[in-house]
Amino acid sequence: MLTAVENQLWVCLLSVKYNIMREMTNKVTFLTNIVFMMLNNAAFIVQWLILFRLREEIGGYTMKEVMLLWGLTASSYGLSHILFARVFTLHELVVNGKLDAYLVLPKNVLLSVMTSATETSSIGDFLYGMVIMCVFSFGVGRFFLFLLFTLTGALIITALALLTGSLSFWLVKSEMLGTHMTNSMISFGTYPDGIFHGTAKFLLYFIIPVGMAIYQPVHIMVSFDGGMLLRVLGYTALLTAVAVAVFYRGLRRYSSGNLMESRI
Amino acid sequence: MTGQSGQSGRMLLGLTKILGKCSLPCRWMRKYIVIYRSVVMENMQYMANIAMGFVSYFVLNFVFMNLWNYMYGTSGELIAGYGKEQMIWYVMITEMIWFGARPAVVARQAAIDIRGGNIAYMVNKPYYYPFYILAKYTGEWSVQLPMYAALAAVMGTTMVGKLPGFHVTAVPVIILCVVLGITINAVFKLCIGLFSFWIEDTHPFQWLYDKLILVVGVIFPIEIFPEKLQPFFKLTPIYTVCYGPAKLVVDFSPGKCLEILCAQFLYLALGSVLIYVVYRKGVRKLYVNGG
Amino acid sequence: MEAIRAENLSKTFRVKRKEKGIKGSVKSVLHPQAQEIKAVDGVSFTVEEGEILAFIGPNGAGKSTTIKMLTGILYPDGGSLEVLGLNPTKRRKQLAYEIGTVFGQKEQLWTHLTPYDNFRFFGAIYDIPEKETERRIKELGELFTLGAFIDTPVRGLSLGQRIRCEFVASLIHRPKVLFLDEPTIGLDPVVKGTIRSLIRQMNKELHTTVFLTSHDVGDIEKLCERIVIINSGRVVLDDSMTHLKDIHTSGMSLENIIMDIYQAEGRSEAV
Repeated sequence: MLTAVENQLWVCLLSVKYNIMREMTNKVTFLTNIVFMMLNNAAFIVQWLILFRLREEIGGYTMKEVMLLWGLTASSYGLSHILFARVFTLHELVVNGKLDAYLVLPKNVLLSVMTSATETSSIGDFLYGMVIMCVFSFGVGRFFLFLLFTLTGALIITALALLTGSLSFWLVKSEMLGTHMTNSMISFGTYPDGIFHGTAKFLLYFIIPVGMAIYQPVHIMVSFDGGMLLRVLGYTALLTAVAVAVFYRGLRRYSSGNLMESRI
Repeated sequence: MTGQSGQSGRMLLGLTKILGKCSLPCRWMRKYIVIYRSVVMENMQYMANIAMGFVSYFVLNFVFMNLWNYMYGTSGELIAGYGKEQMIWYVMITEMIWFGARPAVVARQAAIDIRGGNIAYMVNKPYYYPFYILAKYTGEWSVQLPMYAALAAVMGTTMVGKLPGFHVTAVPVIILCVVLGITINAVFKLCIGLFSFWIEDTHPFQWLYDKLILVVGVIFPIEIFPEKLQPFFKLTPIYTVCYGPAKLVVDFSPGKCLEILCAQFLYLALGSVLIYVVYRKGVRKLYVNGG
Repeated sequence: MEAIRAENLSKTFRVKRKEKGIKGSVKSVLHPQAQEIKAVDGVSFTVEEGEILAFIGPNGAGKSTTIKMLTGILYPDGGSLEVLGLNPTKRRKQLAYEIGTVFGQKEQLWTHLTPYDNFRFFGAIYDIPEKETERRIKELGELFTLGAFIDTPVRGLSLGQRIRCEFVASLIHRPKVLFLDEPTIGLDPVVKGTIRSLIRQMNKELHTTVFLTSHDVGDIEKLCERIVIINSGRVVLDDSMTHLKDIHTSGMSLENIIMDIYQAEGRSEAV
């Protein structure tokens, strides 16, 4: 059993390694993509410098904390797209019957699919998050928490994409839903939660899971709270489990390349 | 809402038909109008898909509404000369342009055509390549932008409130201003795309340009920046692409209007000359090196 | 012993119907109409261990659907299915260790890696110890004569070289059953010949059962001892190659025999 898990992890690692090697075929493009994504993110520092000129704190956050929030969102998004980029285009694979190749392998289908591509620019996102964390609020303990929350955040983002992507087993036209859900998460995840009230708050914890992916972790990093930490971990595990279950339920309906729409 | 934009789509098609049949002065434009028409028709089939993008637009503006609601403590307060409603409407209009007129086609298509070598076949076709790309792009936003405009109007009136001092009479000139702004943006993006004749990947430059427009022009009105920087911003395309149209919506005055229109015509002329030069040099390089 | 047994196998797809134009789109949203299409409709056959079977039929007859059910890609709606004594639906992973697949139109190799690195990757996927992987790469590399290009990235290889690599990748774990879906599509006659003789050799030496679909009569004639023809989701012929040739007029080519059977089916369908 243990060796099976080991082998599975080894294959996943190999996949990720080969994905990155593929992206590195053109080294100049590879590097510029990463560097420019970092610059791209850094441009938003301007936005916050301007906003903090108007007020000293926004939604209970200082500049330092907003940067921590930004860093966590960037690195979580980055990690999810480095490791599991294919989940974000799951719809295309399902509808066009491109899962076949993964189904004939003696390894976990979902993991084989997820790790079969990477996105270069997200390496920039990931690094940017790390850098911004170290520049604005470094602390050894906090750094390890940051790493942990980058992982849980990446898992939550991936799980959400998996959940919406799996819907395409039932709904052929759910194409852009996942993309917009991820976009929305990033939109919310780069602003302090203190500016939202009432129903908006509800939305952020139950519909778009940015509360557990970003806001709570930032609160924990600012002032540690063990109970909250457990809740974040529990939520991550639960959402992941639900997403995986939905994927496998949907896989039974997978129709390979035979799904077509006939016009009369 | 879809019904409404369907109506406007039909009107658009009708208009292009008339233009297409128009005699002499429009004759050289006919082929571009045909290209434009076919792209409009194609895009009208994807209206449901386009409407999916409303989610992202809605969420983003929702975030901004909350942000500015928080930033404006007391009612009646002014930030950089803007009231709360004006500030939110400003962002909604610039984001509407940003979402409704994504110049991805311009940027990507030129890069793909040039790097992929397709351009060699296209330079010999009886059309001017930059016009061909611009016609395609215009066809694309002609469907999207009215849809986003409708959404912005609904969101604005129900969730933000009326703008003080907004007159319906200003709408035609604002539309003109928006169209000019989008076209200027496309011209500059295409220009960067044409650099593909010389460099492998123009994406990074597209990004930088986008970021400049986004951070400086879309999120905030120019007045919010330190005063020393403002004259500099007025010299960049930002002033004509996003700021101009949005400013006219939230704070219309004939003087401002004239100023912005003049700047826009100036920029359009400048951009056109730039494209002409870059394209000519690029094609010459193509002939010399064979791609 | 039987390698594959299918009994009364069936699979139905629900296909959405949509009328033309914008009106049709609106209608299909409001009142979605679905039509059921029986892609595979009560198919039964068996394949003996060590046999080479041709599984053929016109386009859309249900060949691919059947092969996908046999390999665990699709869930059957009805009937029972056993491959090497395993149910592909329930024991998909376990079965995957025992079978190999070559789909002529779909590539399983990483194009930026060399064939050698690709084989090592597949070795890891099938949990083969590294030393053993090396040994098998050498062995199969010789059999398929990959020597000259085993260290060239796959994207730089010709189609014929690639398909040979695909075969090696599919054989690295010594599968007991090999599924070949149009393995010679797009290849020139010389390479086709090579591939065919390799399949035969492999079948003899490793005693691999081969399940082949192809539109190429040459493949079928040169390789297969038995032939199963399906049309409209049903088995219309299950016979040995020699017997099939015997009962038809002497001198009639296999191509014509097959064409006759396809068309006869079409006519009976029309009646």
